[in-house]
Amino acid sequence: MNRVSVRVLVATVAGALILSACGGGEVPPSAFPGLAVEGESAYLASNLHVYKFDALSGAEAWRFPATQDNANPHGPFSGVPLKFGDVIVIGGSTGSNGAYDRHLYAISDETGQEVWRFDPGEDGKEFVDSAVTDGKIIYAPNGNGSLYAIDPAQKENNQPKLIWKFSTGNRLWSKPLYADGKLYQGAFDHKLYAIDATSGKELWRFENATAPIAVQPALKDGVLYFGAFDSAFYAVNAADGKLKWKTPVDGWVWSNATMNDDSIFFGDVRGKLYALDLATGQRKWYYETHDSIKAQPVLDNNTLYVVSMDTNVYAFDLAGIKADASGKVDYAATKWRNDTLTRRLLSKPSLVEGMLLVPLFDSEIKAWALDANTGARKLQFPLPPPATATPGQ
Amino acid sequence: MGNIFDLLFVNPMTNLLLLIYDVLFHNYVLAIIVLTIIIRLITLPLTLKQQVSSMKMAAMQPQIKAIQEKYKNEPQKLSEEMRKVGFNPLGGCLPLVIQFPILIGLYNAITRTLAVTPFSLLELGKYIYGFLPNLSSLVPVNNVFLGVLDLGQPDKLFVIPILVIATTYFSTKLTTPPSTDAQTKQTNQMMSMMMPVMFGFFMLSAPAGLGIYWIVSNLIGIGQYYLMKPRLDLAKAQHAAVAGTTGSTPTTPQAPPKPKMPPPRSKVKHSTSARVAKPGSEKK
Repeated sequence: MNRVSVRVLVATVAGALILSACGGGEVPPSAFPGLAVEGESAYLASNLHVYKFDALSGAEAWRFPATQDNANPHGPFSGVPLKFGDVIVIGGSTGSNGAYDRHLYAISDETGQEVWRFDPGEDGKEFVDSAVTDGKIIYAPNGNGSLYAIDPAQKENNQPKLIWKFSTGNRLWSKPLYADGKLYQGAFDHKLYAIDATSGKELWRFENATAPIAVQPALKDGVLYFGAFDSAFYAVNAADGKLKWKTPVDGWVWSNATMNDDSIFFGDVRGKLYALDLATGQRKWYYETHDSIKAQPVLDNNTLYVVSMDTNVYAFDLAGIKADASGKVDYAATKWRNDTLTRRLLSKPSLVEGMLLVPLFDSEIKAWALDANTGARKLQFPLPPPATATPGQ
Repeated sequence: MGNIFDLLFVNPMTNLLLLIYDVLFHNYVLAIIVLTIIIRLITLPLTLKQQVSSMKMAAMQPQIKAIQEKYKNEPQKLSEEMRKVGFNPLGGCLPLVIQFPILIGLYNAITRTLAVTPFSLLELGKYIYGFLPNLSSLVPVNNVFLGVLDLGQPDKLFVIPILVIATTYFSTKLTTPPSTDAQTKQTNQMMSMMMPVMFGFFMLSAPAGLGIYWIVSNLIGIGQYYLMKPRLDLAKAQHAAVAGTTGSTPTTPQAPPKPKMPPPRSKVKHSTSARVAKPGSEKK
């Protein structure tokens, strides 16, 4: 090989290396999957499609869009699909190159066809998390920093009528909590807002956080619980937004919290799962996984199910948890652990008929159903292609 | 491997970029420019070494060709002679190889801090140093430049891809050493056309913020070239002179080599401080 060839080869390899290092190669998924279960039907938003399938058999009912039209692309989709009457509501999210779909779609539960869409307009951005509803109005948080209240029963310009719009100072990447005619919305402008759901007027704002809030607050006995990117977890009075307690943690909190009578459970981006005392915020125990915990833990009959970006699913029997002096719980405390899914897990699982449905982030297999008691794999979605019979057999 | 690379290069640069962003009034483009300048300054000795080496190799082309021709049937002797004249094909590559992880680290730090997707922001959260808690309050960075350009989106007006093509073209053109060899010249010409087009094409679908980095990096590279030009010209002149004298040896009929006489040591030195051999000295 002469010098010229070597030089061309080196330059080509260097160029390829630069481009591959800089984002070339396989297009990474960018949107967090979201799973909802209604009866035996599962609705899964996963990258470029929303799927409806039978949670018990894995049989696909429909996918939206049925095929991707490059001239008029939909999605990617993220957040938990919202069942609203006879439609499923889901927002378009951000693609890996930053391009986004700014529409909120309503898909027929029966057919998987688009029924209506809401376009927030030129200043609209991605819908990273789900919309919520009070049964009549849909409240959808957008990446442009606005919360939209729309009434699908009324039409205006061929789309659901906009009732009001509440604007904050930065992105809204988490769904609001609706309770008793009020909405509680965390924002990237470091604030948590309480909004009157009827008028869209601000009731109060909590300004003690020093970094974005990207979770849906949890509400119990008049207290809101949520974490923020300032590596802290807050308890705030829902009536007036006054701080009740604040507990520092190790990393950004981007996981919604789950509660029982006396504890609250959530994870952080450094991979720690925490149990805090609901009344005081004191840390009861923590468990270390090997990567970020983004998904909300699921609690059922004193068993806590947690998924981590380290690709593992963990089940803890809360009655048997024993921590050391520092509060650390070791691996032996797990009831079971499934390490066979081999894909990063970012989204909240759902329980259905003794199975734990776990959405996968970057995989051809979109979800696994595990035995909730043992963690053993039972079913995958989509179902594997049927084995073809070999001629002569 | 990826983790070590992140630990050594990407994580420090990510945090440094956010610190600079904080100091520079939350102006992300300014932060990119300043960090790129800092990195370019740190790697300047390596850049200089690489360009001087490339110039040397280019100036030595006639000499090397003559030696290759002369010893084409004696690979052992050929390699000895090449070594004697100071031919080192890795001389230009090695500094480049060392710079490579630094530049890729910088590139990844920019991609990471732009955090245009939910997943990339989640990844960013893992790498912000815990002992610098204030950095978390800076995310997401303000990615709107001059009120119109969203740095997290591909530039729909194509201004950034066009500027990337233009600056890459000039940068490649300037930093590619001239060659007397027709084939090498042709290859260089092809590369100077292909590289800008390749990067421009990439920028059509990449976030504009990455394009800003490429443009700034190219402009700094062009500036560096002009700053280093006197030194490069000196190195080139020295080595052209050396190559001119020693390179004529195998083909000049009036100067047949004396097989039993080894060449003087002074003629085979090729550092920038090497003395130029006097014409005809090989006969002595």
